[in-house]
Amino acid sequence: MRTLIPFLKPYKGLILLILVITIVDVGGTLYIPTLVADMINIGVYSGNLALVLQKGALMFAVALVAAAAALLACYFCVRLSALLGRDLRNALYDHSLTFSTSDFERIGTGSMITRTLSDVSVVQQAFIWSLQMILPVPAMCALGVIMSFAINRTMGLVMIGVTVIVLGGAIIITHKASFIYEKMQGFLDRINLVLRENVTGIRVIRAFNKEQYEEKRLRKTFEDYALSAIKANSLFFGLESLAIFVMNACIVSILWLGSNQVGLGRMAIGDITAVTEYALLILFYIIMAQMVVIVLPRSRVCLRRIHEVLQQAPEISDAVTTVPVLAGTETVCRFDNVSFCFPDAEAATLSDLTFALRRGTTTAIIGSTGSGKSTIAKLILRFHDVTGGAIAVDGVDVRRLSQEKLRQHIAYVPQKAWLFSGTIAANLRYGNEDATPADLWHALDVAQAGFVRDLPGGLDAPVAQGGTNFSGGQKQRLAIARALLKKADLYIFDDSFSALDFKTDAALRHALAKEVAGSAVLIIAQRVSTIAQAEQILVLDDGKMAGLGRHEDLVASCPVYSHIVSSQTKGGGLHG
Amino acid sequence: MADEKQVLQRSDAEPQLDYEYSIERPQAAGKTLKRLWQTTAYAHGRLVLILCSVLIYTALMIAAPWYSAGIVNLLWDTIKASQSVGAAFQVTWRQGGEEIAFLALLYFGAWLFYTFQSYMMLTFAEGLNLRLRTALSEKLNRLPLCYFDGQRTGAVLSRFTNDLDKVSEALQNGILRLFTSTGLLIGSVVMMFQFHAGLALVFIAFALLAVVVTRLFSRVTLERASTRQQKLSLVTGLIEEAYSGQVLIKAFTQETRSAAKVHAATEELAWATEKADFAINAIDPAIRLINRLGQVVIALFASYLLIGGSLTVGAFQAFFQYVNQASEPLTEASYVINSMQSALASAERVYALLDEPEMSADPAVPVALTQAKGKVVFDHVRFGYADAAGPDLMADIDFAVAPGQKIAIVGATGAGKTTLINLLMRFYDVKSGHIYLDDVDTASLTRHDLRENFGMVLQDTWLFEGTIAENIAYGKPAATRAEIIAAAKAARVDFFVRTMPKGYDTIVENDNENISTGQRQLLTIARVVLRNPPVLILDEATSSVDTRTEMEINHAMRDLMAGRTAFIIAHRLSTIVDADKILVMDHGAIIEQGTHRELLQKGGAYAALYNSQFAPV
Repeated sequence: MRTLIPFLKPYKGLILLILVITIVDVGGTLYIPTLVADMINIGVYSGNLALVLQKGALMFAVALVAAAAALLACYFCVRLSALLGRDLRNALYDHSLTFSTSDFERIGTGSMITRTLSDVSVVQQAFIWSLQMILPVPAMCALGVIMSFAINRTMGLVMIGVTVIVLGGAIIITHKASFIYEKMQGFLDRINLVLRENVTGIRVIRAFNKEQYEEKRLRKTFEDYALSAIKANSLFFGLESLAIFVMNACIVSILWLGSNQVGLGRMAIGDITAVTEYALLILFYIIMAQMVVIVLPRSRVCLRRIHEVLQQAPEISDAVTTVPVLAGTETVCRFDNVSFCFPDAEAATLSDLTFALRRGTTTAIIGSTGSGKSTIAKLILRFHDVTGGAIAVDGVDVRRLSQEKLRQHIAYVPQKAWLFSGTIAANLRYGNEDATPADLWHALDVAQAGFVRDLPGGLDAPVAQGGTNFSGGQKQRLAIARALLKKADLYIFDDSFSALDFKTDAALRHALAKEVAGSAVLIIAQRVSTIAQAEQILVLDDGKMAGLGRHEDLVASCPVYSHIVSSQTKGGGLHG
Repeated sequence: MADEKQVLQRSDAEPQLDYEYSIERPQAAGKTLKRLWQTTAYAHGRLVLILCSVLIYTALMIAAPWYSAGIVNLLWDTIKASQSVGAAFQVTWRQGGEEIAFLALLYFGAWLFYTFQSYMMLTFAEGLNLRLRTALSEKLNRLPLCYFDGQRTGAVLSRFTNDLDKVSEALQNGILRLFTSTGLLIGSVVMMFQFHAGLALVFIAFALLAVVVTRLFSRVTLERASTRQQKLSLVTGLIEEAYSGQVLIKAFTQETRSAAKVHAATEELAWATEKADFAINAIDPAIRLINRLGQVVIALFASYLLIGGSLTVGAFQAFFQYVNQASEPLTEASYVINSMQSALASAERVYALLDEPEMSADPAVPVALTQAKGKVVFDHVRFGYADAAGPDLMADIDFAVAPGQKIAIVGATGAGKTTLINLLMRFYDVKSGHIYLDDVDTASLTRHDLRENFGMVLQDTWLFEGTIAENIAYGKPAATRAEIIAAAKAARVDFFVRTMPKGYDTIVENDNENISTGQRQLLTIARVVLRNPPVLILDEATSSVDTRTEMEINHAMRDLMAGRTAFIIAHRLSTIVDADKILVMDHGAIIEQGTHRELLQKGGAYAALYNSQFAPV
């Protein structure tokens, strides 16, 4: 709940309005049976038809006012919920933009999506229900008791008794049930998880003869769920049952005690109807609120998950004072004894790396899966921060630059060639908003992405989400073109040539050389052929530098490198 | 690619928003109801009991206001009589008390039956839910693999969760409410006519108006809900791609623009949400208004009758109780009917899954074979999906493997390499022909015994939520930590595991993107290394691993494979040049077989494929 308060603050006026209107609605709802009672009383006592008509007209007016109030309350309430949902989603998204890669991975892309979309929807729905069903309850209880007292003291006391018993029961049961419901939600998640594993892993499960084991695992989750479902629902039915019992007892005692009051002349006969109706309304409102309260634990979990994201302080944030980049140094980027280790990890991902990326030269990094190659690129871009040593760009420690400034000087092609939905042109202009069509075509040609010419629409050809309507090689070439459009001091290609055939790979590197001649280039690759021409090759082995030099030297001096070379040339070659 | 897939898998399991308006209708309601009735044969006695309880409850609830009308009249007459003589009236056992006590008894009875039937229905519904769920999970293990090939995971999951929960919810609340509401509605209207036909007609007129308005509302609601759904999909798409491409947005310093785009989309969604939610929620006050207007007319009319003396005070009060009792079911009617219909549609889907054709049964008297030597023979094997038209997927596969041989299978995507393995493992049954393991027809073994002989690594890596150690020990739960680490070392994944936050005790989560596809492959290789099976099957097991690691794994595997039969599917031909036999497949047939050298000399499909992978360094 505390998470919501800052989000509700801007709408204080709206909330106050809803509160006032709700009281009007509740008042009207209670006034209707009062008027019916009046009409009975007039009918039996005075028989004045004109007076009855007057009351009828008043009742009509009250019904209209109450309905108008209810509709308005409903409108403001859905509006508030819609705005709240919008604000929560915007806040989540904006906050996610400050996350480092580790921050993001800690939560997971899938989970972030769920939190931004369905969790917010659940919270919105719970919010509407709370405003519509729970908010009127105190007003209903208070007004119901007051109006009973207005009719007769004894009736007022009966009403207090009824309210206290049912409200007390509701609070106790809700308290108990909310634990069980929360547990139940956990069991349901567990069912989903284990089931998903069972379906996606069906081959492995069968191959390992684990069917019986998995069946037992599933059965356990089902039973846990069923048991707590029975418990939770029994509690709910217990409350409903209590409420109905109290309601019945109440009708009977109002009849008995009310008749005595009528007999004493302290109350009119019709008022029995009014008081009975008040009691029924109070009970009805409490039961309805109870139904909402029962689903609240689920939304509380969602809210907590949203809160977690909003609370997560970004691991990397800009220093208070940042140094403007001084472009033009010979050494664009330099690693000084750089180490990187994930929090709590036993072994460092990268240890003690020292090398420099120089203008006009190409540096390549090669190494095994998981040897930390991509992490190097991410460190330069400050998606992670080093845990030892320092990285300097243009002679300035990257931690003293603003992230935006730093990244403006770097063009990056990530390992996963991701494209955004839209058109090819829109994707390319990510690199340079002001690029002319001629610029775009030039970049595409350098990136060997001439296939765009054959697409219907050319530059305006549509791109599906993630670029799924292009092959892996096409996506890579588009991503390269996008990076080339950005004029940068450093170009980073993270395994960007892996899906290209050997001929395209060679042609691309040839064209590229002229294009980025004045900048430093960093190529991360798995194929020796891709990097053999580089001015320096950094060989990584389990996060450590196993060699640094040119291809010819390394083949002779670096066993890890020669090993890689032989793994790719055994019997004549390899296909990436 | 793996990440994308994970994201997509994730979103197809996205729980449907509970309050989304989608009205589903069952295909054959009658048949499904009958089937449900049969499924619950064990509880028919209980159901009859519940039905009796519902009948008695309804009767009591209808009788109570009628009886209370009499009491009120009696009391009022006595009060008037005593007031006319100037005496105060007090309820005593003789004077009204007896009658009030009887009314209390009526209500008490109604309460007792209500509580009884609710509780009986609750335990019945959850019990049935558990039964069906268990039946479904047992069914999963009897379904042939081809069923899963054609299903989205999310769809299968929702049979177990959403669908069964809908059925259970409908049984717990819907059915009882449907019966009691119908009973109360009919009973109340009949009683209203007993009091005064004119008043009853007024009620009916307003009730019909309420029904019409409900209908109108639900049409608007559906329309607006679908607009909202559209806007939600837009935001979903935008958010999904922004989160997946977050690194790019930052690398190209596009944060501000991207945020502006998302904000514009959430703004539109807020508008659509507001409109849809208003339609959904405004129906209640609207119906209440109609009911109240009805009450105004009834109150006026009834007062007129009261003054004229043709209606008693008690009847006036009782009539209003009936009005309330009958209005409630009407307001709820459309909700209850919709939820019952969609529950039936859900039940139908559950039964459809239970009715799916199953795998052929294991032989009644199976041959025992647990430690095979590894001789494998495919004898004129054909395969095709039973219901698929067109030519077979596998035509006349015929080859033999001696124990200890290394067999490579190569060919383009869709050539039938994996199908061959699936047949060997009996994930699919052959259409004709035989597969022999150690000269025993695999069809005469139980599937369990057959698979006991194989260790398989798939391209599609599967890990479950548990520690890395547990995942490696999946095929051998009793393995010691030392054995697990040895297996991890053999699979060249030990270093990586130790860089993880908790080493071997790191929990593998589906959302966890710290484990790349390549690393997942290494973990699944470690799993098979630990299991130590007589026959190895590696289906593109190292496709996402770099060449050097792959070579190292191959060295480690060579020790493991010594003296064992191994089947290897690989697209990097460099890894299989030393195979004892290479099968080249195309369109479900073996087009060439022989050693690397033989096939190169032959200059056929294999030679062409091999040369295309040659790169000058």
